[in-house]
Amino acid sequence: MNEKAPFLRLAKRENINKRNVWLIRAAAFFTALVLGGLIFVIAGADPINAYGSLLEGSLGNPAGLRQVIKVATPLLGTALALAPCFKMKYWNIGAEGQITMGAVGASYLALSFGDTWNSFLLLPAMAIMGVIFGGLWSGIPAAFKARYGTNETLFTLMMNYIAIGIVGWLQGGPWEGKPGSQIIPMFKPAAVLPRIMGVHIGWILVLILTAIMFIYMNYTKHGYEIAVLGESENTARYAGMNVTKVTIRTALLSGGISGLVGFMVASGANMTLYASVAGGVGFTAITVAWLSQLNPLGMIFISLLLAVLSKGASTLQTSLAVPASISDIITGIILLCMLGCEFFINYKIILRESKNKEGQK
Amino acid sequence: MKKFLAILLVLVMVFSLAACGQDKGGDAKEDSTYKVGMVCIGDDNAAYDRNFYMACDAAKKQLADKGINIEWIYTYNHPEGDEVAVDNEDLAGKGCIAVFNNSYGQEPAMLTVAPNYPDTVFIGMTNEGSGKDELENTVNAFPSIYEGRYLAGVAAGLKLQEMIDKKEIKKDEAVIGYVGAYTFAEVISGYTSFFLGARSVCPSVTMKVEFIGSWGDPTMEANTAQDLIDRGAVLISQHSDSTTPATTAQSAGVFHVGYNIDMSDVAPEASLVSSRIDWTNYMVYVIETIVNGGKVDQDYFRHGLATGDVTLTDLNSKIAAEGTAEKLEEVKKQMADGSLNVFDTSKFTVDGKEVKNAFALDTDGDFTPDSEEAIFDGCFHESYFQSAPYFGLRIDGIELLNEKY
Repeated sequence: MNEKAPFLRLAKRENINKRNVWLIRAAAFFTALVLGGLIFVIAGADPINAYGSLLEGSLGNPAGLRQVIKVATPLLGTALALAPCFKMKYWNIGAEGQITMGAVGASYLALSFGDTWNSFLLLPAMAIMGVIFGGLWSGIPAAFKARYGTNETLFTLMMNYIAIGIVGWLQGGPWEGKPGSQIIPMFKPAAVLPRIMGVHIGWILVLILTAIMFIYMNYTKHGYEIAVLGESENTARYAGMNVTKVTIRTALLSGGISGLVGFMVASGANMTLYASVAGGVGFTAITVAWLSQLNPLGMIFISLLLAVLSKGASTLQTSLAVPASISDIITGIILLCMLGCEFFINYKIILRESKNKEGQK
Repeated sequence: MKKFLAILLVLVMVFSLAACGQDKGGDAKEDSTYKVGMVCIGDDNAAYDRNFYMACDAAKKQLADKGINIEWIYTYNHPEGDEVAVDNEDLAGKGCIAVFNNSYGQEPAMLTVAPNYPDTVFIGMTNEGSGKDELENTVNAFPSIYEGRYLAGVAAGLKLQEMIDKKEIKKDEAVIGYVGAYTFAEVISGYTSFFLGARSVCPSVTMKVEFIGSWGDPTMEANTAQDLIDRGAVLISQHSDSTTPATTAQSAGVFHVGYNIDMSDVAPEASLVSSRIDWTNYMVYVIETIVNGGKVDQDYFRHGLATGDVTLTDLNSKIAAEGTAEKLEEVKKQMADGSLNVFDTSKFTVDGKEVKNAFALDTDGDFTPDSEEAIFDGCFHESYFQSAPYFGLRIDGIELLNEKY
C-alpha cells in the first residue's frame, strides 16, 4: 500500500452504544434548529420568537392541537402502510395513488348512498371500499413485479398520476356538482366520520392500527417472512417461502391501509373528494417511515413532529407574516438533518492520521 | 437518552417562554383593534388576489377614518379542502370578527368550520351556499361584475372597429380570444357580457373561448392566449387570475383587456383597460355592521357599476380607440338609468332564436336552474335573485373551443 491514504475515510461503526446514538440524533436536531434559525433571520424574523410562535400555534392551544392530530393521522396511517413494503425492500412509492383510489372507492358509496343508508352501515362500507380500491391499486404493480419482474418503484410512481387523473376526470365529469365548477358536492352527514375530542375518529383507528402493525411486523409468521424476504430473496426461497405470494400479499395489505387512509381523509377531514386528496401525504409518509426506521411506535412520534411543523408553519404565516415556503425550507432542513444523522450513526469518519495509527495496529 | 430529553425539555421551555412573552405584547393593543381574516386562493403573484389586497388596504383606511381600527390577517395559496378549513379555524380562533374567503372552491370547507364559531362572520365571496344555508353567521357576496365586463367589452369593440375602419383588419377578422377558467355560470356570464359589449359597437365581431380548467395558472394562461392568437384572435381577454394573457398579447402584437387589476404596467402596448370588482365597499359594510352590533345581510347583490362595487381601471389612452373614454361614460350612464340592459334579449340569439325563458335558481340541488324566471321586461336579469351569476346560455357568435377539457 504505497498510495497515500485519502484525507477522509469512512468506516462502518461496530457496536455503537445507545447513548451515543441519541447524542448524535440530538446534535443533528440541534444543528437543524440552528440552521433553521439562520433561515428565519434571513427571512427577517427573530428566530426565538419564530420558534416560539411555531410551538405556541401548534401545541399551545386546543385548536392547534386538534389540527396537529388531524395532520398527523394520515401521515401515521400511510407510514404504517409503507412499513411492511419497505421492510421487504419492495419500494412502494405509490401510496399517494393508493390513498387517492381509496378515497375514490369510499366517495362512490358516499355519493350514491349518502341519502339512503345510515352511517352505521355506510361508514364501514366506505372503509371496506377504500381498502379494496387502495389494495387493488397497489396489487396491480405487485402482480406485474411477481409475474414479469417489472420495476415496482417506477410502476407504483406512475400509478399515482393515473389515480390523480381519474379524480380530476370525476370532478369535471360524472361526479361534478354545479356545472363547470369541477367540484364534487359535500358528503351528506351520514357519510362523514364522527369526531372524538374534536378530531375525526381516524386518529383512534390509526393508533389501533399502529399496535396491530407492531405485532404483525415483529411477532407473526407474516412479519417474519417479510423480514427474511427483505434480507435476501434467495434465503426466503431456500426456506420454502412462496416469494410471489408474500410479495403480493404485502403489497395488497399496504395498499389496503393506504386506501383506508384515503377513506378517512375524504370522509373525516375534507367531507368531499378532490384530486389533491392525498396532498403529498403518500410521499411525506415515506420520510416518516424511514425516520422511524420502520418502527411503528417511532412513527407516532415522527408524524406528530411533522404535523407540529406543518401546523406551526401556518401559524407563522398568519402571526409573523413569515411565508409558508420559509417554513417548508426549515422542515426540509430538519428532515435532512434527521435522516442525515443516521449516516453518522452507521459510519464514522476517519482522518488520515488516525488511519495510519489504525494501520499500524 | 436522558440527555436528549433534557435538551429537548429545555428547548421547549425556552420557546414557550418566548411565546408567552410575545403574547403579552400582543394583548395591549387588542382592545382597540379588530382582527379580520382573509383566506386567499393565491398570493402576490396572482392579479386576482392583488385585487383583494387593494380592497383590504382601502377598507382599512376608510374604516380608520370612521374610528374603527382593523388589522388584516392573511393566509395564502389554499384553494379548497381541509387546508381552507384550517385557515378559517385558525383565523376565527385568533379572534377575527370576520373571515373573508376569496374563492368559490373554499366555501364548502368554510361552512364546516362556521358552526363552531358563532361569533365570527364567515364570508364566501363569489359563492352562493352561505346565503342559502341556515347558518346566520355565513354570508355571500358577488358584485355585478358582468356590468364591468360589458363596459370593458365596449372599449374592446371600439378598438376593433377602429382597426376595421383603418383597414388594418378585415371585417370578419375582428376575432376576440378569451381565456376562460371553467365552463361555469360565473365565467359564461362574464365572457358573454364582454362579448355583447364589444358587439354593441363592432357588429362583425366574433369570439373564441378556450378554457384552462383552473382559476389561475400562469403558464396555462399564456399558452392558451398564444393558441387563441394563433387561431386568429386580434384581441385577448380573460377570466383567469394572472397577467400572462396580457404579456402574451403584447409580445404577439395584439391587444388585450384585463380583469382584476390594471395590466397596462406589464403590457403597456397591449392592455387597454381592465374591469374589476372593488371589494372595498363590501368589506367596509361588513366590518362596520359587525362592530356596530348589526346583522350582515345573507347575500350582497344588485351592487355594481352604479354603486362603485364594480369599476374599470384607468383607460390606457395611448392605445385605446379615439373617443373611448366618452363612449364609456355614455354607456355607463345608460346602464345606470336603466335604458341599457346588458343581457337585452333582442340583442342575442341561441341557435338562431331569441330566448324567451330561462330559470335563474336551482332549488332541488341537482344543479340545474328550476325556479325564478330570469327573463322579463325584455332582458335576462343577471344577479337579480342572488348575487352569484347564473347566466348559463350559449349564445350565437361565441365559439367554445374546448367545452370538455
